[in-house]
Amino acid sequence: MLAVKKLNKIYPNGTHALKNVSFDVKKGEFLIIIGLSGSGKSTLLRCINRLIDLTSGSIIFEGVEISKQEGAALRKTRSKIGMVFQNFNLIPRFSVLKNTLTGALTRTGTLASILGNFSKEDEKKARGFLKTVGLNGKERSRADNLSGGEQQRLGMARALMQDPILLLADEPVASLDPATSHTVMDYLKKINKELGVTIICNLHFLSLVREYGTKVLALKDGEIVYQGPPDGIDEKWFKTIYGEEAKEVGIN
Amino acid sequence: MAHRHFFSLLLDTLLWSYTFLATHKIIYNKIIMSIRYPEFSWGQPLICLILGLITSALIYFFLPGLSIGRAIYFKTYARLNRPFFKRPYIYVAFLIFFITLISGLYVSQVSLREFFSHSGLMGAKRIFIALFTPNFGILEESLFAAIETIYMAFIATLFAIPIAFVLSFFAAKNLMMGSPLFKIIYTILRFILNLTRSIEPLIWAIIFSVWVGIGPFSGMLALCIHSIASLSKLYSEQIEAIDQGTMEAITSTGARPVQIVWFGVVPQIILPFVSFTIYRWDINVRMATIIGLVGGGGIGTLLMQYQGLAKWNEVGLLVLIIATIVWAMDTISTKIRQAIK
Repeated sequence: MLAVKKLNKIYPNGTHALKNVSFDVKKGEFLIIIGLSGSGKSTLLRCINRLIDLTSGSIIFEGVEISKQEGAALRKTRSKIGMVFQNFNLIPRFSVLKNTLTGALTRTGTLASILGNFSKEDEKKARGFLKTVGLNGKERSRADNLSGGEQQRLGMARALMQDPILLLADEPVASLDPATSHTVMDYLKKINKELGVTIICNLHFLSLVREYGTKVLALKDGEIVYQGPPDGIDEKWFKTIYGEEAKEVGIN
Repeated sequence: MAHRHFFSLLLDTLLWSYTFLATHKIIYNKIIMSIRYPEFSWGQPLICLILGLITSALIYFFLPGLSIGRAIYFKTYARLNRPFFKRPYIYVAFLIFFITLISGLYVSQVSLREFFSHSGLMGAKRIFIALFTPNFGILEESLFAAIETIYMAFIATLFAIPIAFVLSFFAAKNLMMGSPLFKIIYTILRFILNLTRSIEPLIWAIIFSVWVGIGPFSGMLALCIHSIASLSKLYSEQIEAIDQGTMEAITSTGARPVQIVWFGVVPQIILPFVSFTIYRWDINVRMATIIGLVGGGGIGTLLMQYQGLAKWNEVGLLVLIIATIVWAMDTISTKIRQAIK
């Protein structure tokens, strides 16, 4: 469903963040991208939904070349790709329900959305997705009154409102404690398995990679150094990706 | 590199020219020779400029340690690792400061003799007694004028809000760096706003009093123009300080540009905006009083009239009313701003 070919990204300051990155993602996969901070993981995800413009290369999503899309066509593509963030990026002063509804902005008229007139269907749907992520009963709470794990689940509900076929998760558990991390990852797995949403997830912890991923992609200095099943990452690969000094830290 | 040499030489030339000119015209002519009206010709500043250029060129080539320009533009020459008082250029800076201090004291006609003279102290006593025994006979008239001032400030603030709100988005750097067209709009708008803001409301009041005639309307327009410029700047700075993450998240849902601003930016800035606006109203009430002095209407105009007639008891009452209003506005605006934090 997604084919990235010879993707290059050079930032205005000269940083070559991604070097000839090519990979395919099949429908229903749970792809995990690992690598050190600054290895280009976040840039890669943001190139896929075009929050960042790529320098060269091509991205084919559902058979359509999206790397040069603009305006309405780009918005249509983005609406099919959900995204959750390390810092959740919610609207802190809005209610849980209203935050979820922002996932439906693309199919709501500009004026209607400004006036807060979302369709009854969308409201029903939002409540449904809040239930999916275990936030039912909290619809009226303010988003900033939720705990970290709950905020991330709200971020997922917002992404689900887009009816995405692909979900990008940019270090979704990096600001959470170990126990909460597992809960959040379990919900991601549930979305992957039950709703059939393909997932691309950036992660730091190798133990989580083996537990949740169906395929792994390792980045080092903007280049792919490993591509294959999670079990294939042994001690040797680990040192290649994270450097000789690195030691694996578990998360239980 | 070359432009740094140029600017450091230019700065030194200007500083030395100023030093020569101030020393010659004020310290030598006025203070040492005690000439009341020393002869002036445009040749004098020109000579000082040439002397300044020669001096700074000599310093540039032979004594670079003395150069203030080098210290600013070339960090290596500043010898920052040396103790403060062992950097040679510091003494040049002290010399220029000292000459400016002497000249400044002379030009401002600072005189302790005048301040403590017998007739001076008697005058002070007279006016203070009058101010502390206000004439309540004009209470009604003054209160009406005060109400005029408060309403004037209110309308000026109210009209400024929507205009400043819209302009602030176009004056926010983080929203305007997307395309070249936006960049041009941003640059032009910033320039106009800075220019407008740098002109004091007092001067706007003079302009508008010629335009629409003397009275509260001209004062209101003056405050409004200045408020638009100030609020736009405060608002846009607030927009620049927002958390970009929310904007990113809303963009990633496939939202349209207006929706991105409405959901990704507006919720984060609404409270600071309200706070700034109330503070601005408070400032406007104070400024409205001053603007009245040049015919902007309200209590300021009344103050100017009674001051012109040297009716100090009446002035005393007006000062009392103004102080009360300013105090009340200040308290109310602080309370509201604390409440919405």
